[in-house]
Amino acid sequence: MSALLRAELLKLRTTRTFVALVGVTLALSLLVVVLTAVLSKEFAPGDAQDLFSADFTGLFIMLLGVIGMAGEWRHRTITGTILAAPDRLRLMSAKMLAYAAAGVVLSLIVTVTIMLVGTIILSSRGFDTVAFSDLLDVLWRNLLVAALVGALGVGIGALVRNQVVAIIAVLVLGFVIEPALFGLAPDVARYGPAQGAPAGIQDIEFFGDDGTDTLSPGTATLVMLGWIALFFAAAGVRLRSRDLV
Amino acid sequence: MAPVEIRDLSKRFGSVLAVNDLSFDIEAGRVTGFLGPNGAGKSTTLRALLGLIRPSAGTATFGGLRYEELERPSAKVGAVLEDASFHPGRTARNHLRVLAVTGDHPFERVDTVLADVGLTDAANRRVGGFSMGMRQRLGIAAALLGDPEVLILDEPTNGLDPPGIVWMRGLVREQASQGRAVLISSHLLAEVAQSVDDVVVISRGEMRGHGTLEAVLGGDEGLVTIVRAQDNQRLTGALQAAGHSVQRLGESLLVPGVSAEQVGVVAGDAGVYLVALAPQTRSLEQAFLALTGEGAPL
Repeated sequence: MSALLRAELLKLRTTRTFVALVGVTLALSLLVVVLTAVLSKEFAPGDAQDLFSADFTGLFIMLLGVIGMAGEWRHRTITGTILAAPDRLRLMSAKMLAYAAAGVVLSLIVTVTIMLVGTIILSSRGFDTVAFSDLLDVLWRNLLVAALVGALGVGIGALVRNQVVAIIAVLVLGFVIEPALFGLAPDVARYGPAQGAPAGIQDIEFFGDDGTDTLSPGTATLVMLGWIALFFAAAGVRLRSRDLV
Repeated sequence: MAPVEIRDLSKRFGSVLAVNDLSFDIEAGRVTGFLGPNGAGKSTTLRALLGLIRPSAGTATFGGLRYEELERPSAKVGAVLEDASFHPGRTARNHLRVLAVTGDHPFERVDTVLADVGLTDAANRRVGGFSMGMRQRLGIAAALLGDPEVLILDEPTNGLDPPGIVWMRGLVREQASQGRAVLISSHLLAEVAQSVDDVVVISRGEMRGHGTLEAVLGGDEGLVTIVRAQDNQRLTGALQAAGHSVQRLGESLLVPGVSAEQVGVVAGDAGVYLVALAPQTRSLEQAFLALTGEGAPL
């Protein structure tokens, strides 16, 4: 498994997609943090804490996972990949772990950068800054979400296989279906894999002022693991039973 | 035990029987041509051998183990399939480095195999800009990475220019001379006839001939006898008992490398009445087409 994991990480590092996504994620996250920190008239430490959850890693690492797995079919490299690693479930497990690790690295870079830049701007404007322990609290939540959605992206890519359809599905789920459910059925929405459960882990208040409607971080983590297991099982059955012709 | 053993292999896709009850071995130190027209079932057979598709019946093994049971498959088997593809954004060297990590091969092998296939100068170029011939060479480099005992090449001359085809012939001969079992599939006999020792000829998923090139196709301008008996089955048995290979050719039998007189003697000894007996000469290509039912017999 360790050889497969190292190979998948090497694959990630040797295309431009990963570097490009790191750049885009960092730029978008910085844009939101800088604009908010510069333009806001009032800022309490709690607001800043929420601000540093504006790490776009979740979305992009999920897309990267989808691209990394579905891309095997798009570029017709799946045959060579399976010839090199015939155990298809081990292959998918290694890919999930690799993209979880990539999510952690990406989120670490992005979160630490926006925390540094945001704190500098807020302190220069005379606002109270967030305590180091609170920053660490935001950091581990961001890293955990990035790891989980990275693995989930691989599962979605393996199940759907068509890269374009899979990317559109993720975007529609994250930006249309789950936001619509926030208003219509928040009890259902909080279990969503793209925003609902990640919000629980990050303790973001989607459903009310006190945030009591989001899942607890522990429950949300279990829900995310459940989603990953579901996609892994469905994609695994499809991958193992299908002939590669 | 032969390095590659295929036994009673069949594969059905829905109502289509793509491969029907194939059995043959591939020997070490020899190049075996796996021949047949397009759609004959060659790629299906190779994919079943490589664990990419599940056989409906039978087995395909390497030293008794299925491909997916091999501990380090790339150290045992190197394969280049017809649709081999690469991530266009990755360089040739990085593509091989990924495979080296997966198969636990040292990185030094990457530069060795790049040199073996003549891609050293293109090692750091992205594969998206490669010609078809360069992609074929990269595929072969990937197959050689683990220094495997068995080399499987599916239509490797597709997309190669004439110098590339000559290079490929030399490569497969060299690999066999180093003791590897080489299986090379093609729908064009002419492209592999000069480099193979043995042939396996299939058509419509069924075995049409298996043995040395001479035995199966009779050699270029070789002697061949076409014969029809009242009881073709008995005559086939008698000829085979006498050590001759026999191929069905419509209502007749085709006996390569044997004179009409010899066939007549065998038939007489067996008490089989002959209806027609005709000595012929033919080219390898004619023999191949006749065997696969793709052209005029002679």
